[in-house]
Amino acid sequence: MLSTVPLNVGRRRVCGSVFSPASLEAHPPSDFQREQTPVISFQESTDSSSTFKADSQSTSFATIGGSTDAASPEEDTLNQARQAAREFLSVPNLGFELLYNFRNTDGSQMLKEWNRLSPPSKETAEALEYLMRTSPWTLFEWYGNDIRRHFLVNFRTGLSKLLKSLAEGLLRTIVDCLQLARRIYLAPVVHYMLPLIAPSHQGGFLAQLQRAFHTVVQYSLPWKNISPLLARELTQDAVIILGIDTLDEDFDMDRMSLDGTEMERAYSVSYKDWRQESPEAQAHMMVEGEDGRVTIARDQLLAFLNGLQLVGLGGDQAQKVFANVMNIMMGDFIRAAYTGEWESPSTAPQHLEQWIENVYARLVVQVLAIIDSDLAGTQSEAIEVSFRDVEKWRVMGIARLGKLRVSELFDVVVDWPASSGAVEDLRRFTNNSSGARLYVTHFFSINLLQRLLHPGASTVEILQVYISIIRAFHILDPKGVLLDRIARPIRRYLRDRDDTVKVIVSGLLADPATADGPTATGDNLAELAAELTKVHHHSMQNNRSELDYDDLYWMPDPVDAAPDYKKSRSVDVIDSLVSLFDSKETFVKEMQTLLADRLIQKRQNYDQEITVLELLKVRFGDSALQACEVMLKDISDSRRLDLTVRNDQILSGHRKQAGVGKLHAKILSRFFWPEFQEQEFKVPDEIIKLQKRYATCFEKRKDSRKLMWRNALGQVTVELELENHTFKDEVTTWQATVIYAFQSESSEPATRTIPELAEELEMTPPLIRSACLFWVSKRILTEVHRDTFRVLEVLPTEDDEHHAHGAGDFSDASDSEAGDTANAAAAAEAAAAAAAKESAEAAAMEKMNVHWQFIVGMLTNQGPMALNRIVMMLKIAVPGGFPFSNEELREFLSGMVSKGKLEIVNGGNYKILH
Amino acid sequence: MDYSMEDTQNSAPDAQQANKLSSSGQKSDTQSVTKRLQAELMQLMLSPSPGISAFPDADGNLLSWTATITGPTETPYEGLTLKLSFAFPNNYPYSPPTVLFKTPIYHPNVDFSGRICLDILKDKWSAVYNVSSVLLSLQSLLGEPNNASPLNAQAAELWDSDQAEFKRHVLARHQDLDEE
Repeated sequence: MLSTVPLNVGRRRVCGSVFSPASLEAHPPSDFQREQTPVISFQESTDSSSTFKADSQSTSFATIGGSTDAASPEEDTLNQARQAAREFLSVPNLGFELLYNFRNTDGSQMLKEWNRLSPPSKETAEALEYLMRTSPWTLFEWYGNDIRRHFLVNFRTGLSKLLKSLAEGLLRTIVDCLQLARRIYLAPVVHYMLPLIAPSHQGGFLAQLQRAFHTVVQYSLPWKNISPLLARELTQDAVIILGIDTLDEDFDMDRMSLDGTEMERAYSVSYKDWRQESPEAQAHMMVEGEDGRVTIARDQLLAFLNGLQLVGLGGDQAQKVFANVMNIMMGDFIRAAYTGEWESPSTAPQHLEQWIENVYARLVVQVLAIIDSDLAGTQSEAIEVSFRDVEKWRVMGIARLGKLRVSELFDVVVDWPASSGAVEDLRRFTNNSSGARLYVTHFFSINLLQRLLHPGASTVEILQVYISIIRAFHILDPKGVLLDRIARPIRRYLRDRDDTVKVIVSGLLADPATADGPTATGDNLAELAAELTKVHHHSMQNNRSELDYDDLYWMPDPVDAAPDYKKSRSVDVIDSLVSLFDSKETFVKEMQTLLADRLIQKRQNYDQEITVLELLKVRFGDSALQACEVMLKDISDSRRLDLTVRNDQILSGHRKQAGVGKLHAKILSRFFWPEFQEQEFKVPDEIIKLQKRYATCFEKRKDSRKLMWRNALGQVTVELELENHTFKDEVTTWQATVIYAFQSESSEPATRTIPELAEELEMTPPLIRSACLFWVSKRILTEVHRDTFRVLEVLPTEDDEHHAHGAGDFSDASDSEAGDTANAAAAAEAAAAAAAKESAEAAAMEKMNVHWQFIVGMLTNQGPMALNRIVMMLKIAVPGGFPFSNEELREFLSGMVSKGKLEIVNGGNYKILH
Repeated sequence: MDYSMEDTQNSAPDAQQANKLSSSGQKSDTQSVTKRLQAELMQLMLSPSPGISAFPDADGNLLSWTATITGPTETPYEGLTLKLSFAFPNNYPYSPPTVLFKTPIYHPNVDFSGRICLDILKDKWSAVYNVSSVLLSLQSLLGEPNNASPLNAQAAELWDSDQAEFKRHVLARHQDLDEE
């Protein structure tokens, strides 16, 4: 029976809009009945009332008949009754203002104002009763139309104006107003008319009126204006209910709790709090003891939504808005709750799941129960929130969490290993959803390009991050496919950096003892050394070939692996770094240079170098590191040899006439050692004598070998005795040579000038200057004039110093002794650097000479060329590329022009001159 | 058929090998050629021989070079600068480069379009030769032409009969390539 009602209603409405009410009234009831006949169901449904109708008609004629004409008593009565009913029902045109003013009251006062509560007079009541019995539909239909008319005339403009005002809580005001309007329209109906109808039909009639009301409301308030307002309202409350606001305020809370004003909060959705609780407490944390604020917000929201639903603004569209808001809320919550929470072991997914189940889903269920799709509310087919939906939200939540982690991934990696929890979360994410892996690598690669692979980052930093990436991604994806993808751009970039090898090798050779400390050294990858000792035995087992038929644990490559993907079973940081370079040669060469520097130094033992070398041999094989091995062997051999040679010397009785000092030598096999950049000079005669004697002894021992002395390498222990002070320290050979030149028998302090010394020692002036300044810093020499130094036999007292300064000493007039020495030391350093630079420049010049040959060849054969073309050709022709910039080349070429080897012809082309 | 081919090319066993090589992977070949030429260039630059010089052209693939020979002293070519072009085949050094005089030259073994008659550029070519050895050979050819197989018969005759007239012809024919 129920199902027939809406059908009927729909029909009637169509009729109502086609025929004016007047014409309808003109039809005799018999017509009216006939018109209904095609609707069989209606016949059936009204069957029970038709008998009632028949006899009630006659009785009502009797009662009202007295006041009506007898001509057509039936129609007359009907008209009169309708007239009365209309008068009773019609709403006074009082306008929106009144409605607005009463929006916050309970409404009874207002209803009185609008004259909606006064009971109908006896006559009207009878008329109503009559109409209810004869043709209730026409009356309701008329009233529905009247509601629309009235609403449009009285409220619409007011509402639109209100809508434009954009006040706070605007939608609530509107809903309040509309609710009042609804009551105005429906109060008399509910109070005085519905009781007259059979209870089974009441719903249908009411629904008809409500629908009329809803249509006009929706018409007057376009949805596109309402939806942002609704979204705002929903967001406001949802933020509180879901606990997102408390997360954002966490910082403030912490501060407040210092004042002791913040109470213990049993209820919290904060991940931080949750982590600290026991598992049992965790289970209850989000279920029980809801905050007062949250409860209020929830009640408020539900009440508001109730109103919304009542006035016809709920339904499908409201659901869409709600879904949108909840979507945003989930993202917000995850961002607020988990950003920066990277501790391991990570329980964020569990926390998130619990939150979704207990807080999120709860709100959704509550809200959806109110704004279901059927606006009339007669058939409450509320959308069921099934368990599968919750499951879907959970998956979504995990995906969002993964997304958050991906966006944080760079910082996570930088913080490694303190941030391993975040990687665990991410791992869940990449395992859960397809495409996530691609997303991770894609996003992270972009991030890397922006944040790491730029000139501002030092090579050590990049390598450190790379190492962290290797470790983090190994946990994320043990098969190494993701790492493989991520690492490619980094590796490509690192290959382009000049100092990559140097950093790696020096890291390997660093003292592992310092690496274990908590302080990460800024300019050294000392952890590499520790790593080397840690994992070396893994690598041996790892180097199995692809075709190992005994490998029972063989697995095919993962599907998304790159074609040249290579499996590595362990996190071998060293291997990844060393394999950066196409050949081991580059690496070994750098290793040689660094090793050479370290071996030349005077030390008790070289155990650490030996260890590192042995470990590296395991990786590279003996042959690759042969040169390094020879170097180490040289050092240990020469110690033994040195001992023998010295014994021989003692035996041959040379010792007593030595007098100048002892000479120890390190014998290096030139072929296996890298080139040393050094500045040759003449050592003192006494040393040369010693060297000669040493060489003869050596050559006696080792036939067919010759000693070549590298004077610039090595250390000298110098003892100086001056008039009132002494000095003993280890210095470089050239510093010692320079101070030796100041030695004199006379009591007068020796004074030498730099040009003098340069000629005598065959040393470059900058180097001499550097050495002299070094001695000035040790307070052995003073610079009397520019480039003239004198031995400081007597340390000046304070007074002397001032006197000296007063006399216009050349050296910087600093106030204190310490400052003076410090200055001199700094100057010495600078001078040494200058000397080093000079030798480097000489080396660069040497290199340029090769290029000069190319340029000559080019210009001879190809004719005059412009600078750009020369550079281009050099880049093509010179093996290893052309390392100089255009500007450097231009300078060099103009130097050649001034030397008369080139000339510039028309258009800036360089031409060779023969 | 293979045998017969081998017979006819007995004098140049490298050519056979070159054919094999060129058939197997043109690309890697070009790479090895480039490598070889780069090495030759480097050698040429690091230990330059007096009077000869060569450098790749600007086309970037190193397969065509320009060389310069200064005429040796006590020859009719003394003081002259002679330019040559080298075009290296893809299977260099298994085949000889094509060498031409760019500068017009009056010489018994060079024709008027610059083609050279020199055994090591033809059937006597071997992979151990290189740009610098070819240039040195050409330099010595300037002083000691091979009059037994002349391309320019008049020049050959003149070389034997009248050195002064020969030199006049040389200078008349010579014309410095204007450096463009």
